Amino acid sequence: MSGETALPPGFAALEPFVAGWALPTTAARAARRGEATSDEREQFFAAASPLVASALAHLDARPLHALDPAEQRLLNLLLALAHVGLAVEMQGPAEARHALGRARMQITRAVADAEPGA
Amino acid sequence: MTHPGTSFSPIPADAVAWLGTNPIPAAPYYDPAYFERERRAVFLTSWIHVGHACELPEPGAFVRRDLEFARASLLIVRGNDGIVRAFHNVCPHRGTQLVEAAAGRQSRFSCPYHMWTFGPEGDLLSAPDFGAFHLRKEDCGLKPVALQECAGLLFVNFDPQAQPLRDWLGDYAGRLEQMPVARATTFSEYTYEIAANWKLTYDNFQENYHLRFVHPRSGGAGVGGDNPFGYPVEIGFHGPHRTQRIWSNPDPALKPFQRAASFCGIPALAEQGLLTLPHGRDYLALFPNLFVIGTPTQPFSHTVYPLAADRSRGVVRVYWVGEDASASQRLAREYALAQLRDIHSEDVGIIERGQAGLASGALSHIHFQSMEALCRHLFLEVDRRVQAGAAGPEQRG
Repeated sequence: MSGETALPPGFAALEPFVAGWALPTTAARAARRGEATSDEREQFFAAASPLVASALAHLDARPLHALDPAEQRLLNLLLALAHVGLAVEMQGPAEARHALGRARMQITRAVADAEPGA
Repeated sequence: MTHPGTSFSPIPADAVAWLGTNPIPAAPYYDPAYFERERRAVFLTSWIHVGHACELPEPGAFVRRDLEFARASLLIVRGNDGIVRAFHNVCPHRGTQLVEAAAGRQSRFSCPYHMWTFGPEGDLLSAPDFGAFHLRKEDCGLKPVALQECAGLLFVNFDPQAQPLRDWLGDYAGRLEQMPVARATTFSEYTYEIAANWKLTYDNFQENYHLRFVHPRSGGAGVGGDNPFGYPVEIGFHGPHRTQRIWSNPDPALKPFQRAASFCGIPALAEQGLLTLPHGRDYLALFPNLFVIGTPTQPFSHTVYPLAADRSRGVVRVYWVGEDASASQRLAREYALAQLRDIHSEDVGIIERGQAGLASGALSHIHFQSMEALCRHLFLEVDRRVQAGAAGPEQRG
């Protein structure tokens, strides 16, 4: 466990996914969904989706602006899962073709990119 | 109306018989000459949505909006008096475009060419060696374009004789004001360019007939049971505008993560009083090119701007009340945006296939069934204006 990939206690199983998926903007997360292989998406989804409830319970205990770097990484993983979940749960084998249409829809602004208010 | 959770009662075809059943001419969906008439008779005389008041939170906050149908760039700015105004983004000296930035906040707007400088209310504050012009400063302000607001939504109208926005919206003004967009303080946005006519594009989003075929995976919750096409439970018409009440599937097939990522936003929405608003299953189709949807978990607007007879730009915004306050709220909003974008991204290719087919000239007419009545209504409202414009003595624009 290194400082760059550390996650809050209880979420160490997700640390191998931090480098690839804990991305800071909505557009970057959406793009990563499209660039990843289906194996990468499925492995991330399989590891992270069972931890959604416990991760939210941990993060919701404090306001967004008070999250420490490890918690922020965990949140960014959850937000990446929002995109990956659509690929794995909804699109399945149609995901590669679906990415072509999605590339046409350019994300120009996202509330999650804003700095959390104090 | 059908109560959510009970079986679906189809809208009888009689309800839309007044719109007629004739085939609709195909040329208006691709013909550049028709597009030009439409540009003048529809877009230069209607209230066109250009933004939201929350983009301009304080004096000097501005956005630049380029409206190709008017060949115009607008500078939309909140004045020191708190009023939002629209101006042509054009220096009255020699026509130079004033502002290059898409958005920002400034107390003064200076033309880079000769430093004519304007305040956020559009007045000329200073101009170097102004005495040599033999002009009065009060005659040299930025050229205004009518801008009015309803439910936070900003609309402009290039017709100096336009009726007030509220008269134009009629009863739908009150409905808009009861939708989440009216309370929005922020939004997420995605845009797309599409090789298709604006009406063909817009029509895709005002009929449900295609849902089960084009969105077999992403649109799963919107069709099923005794409503296999996901038809609306109510439709309505008001002047040039129209509305649908979306059917609530009593037994939606939600996936586990979909459920978690959607439902984690519900407590915050409830706390904000957004779950009990009266139009949570309604969308308004505001003539000519705007949709506003009241769904509290995914309250969005969708505007289709015409670029050419066979080219358009879509702007989709998901509007929210307050910045993200918790991880759950942020996840739900991220998922709502990504899910909506997934659905819309499935429409773009099929709409372009329609344009390619129509542009061949193979069809003299196209067909709308009774549950495509909103598409028929849009065409009739557009065509009435185009034909009246053709009969008029003079055109502007």
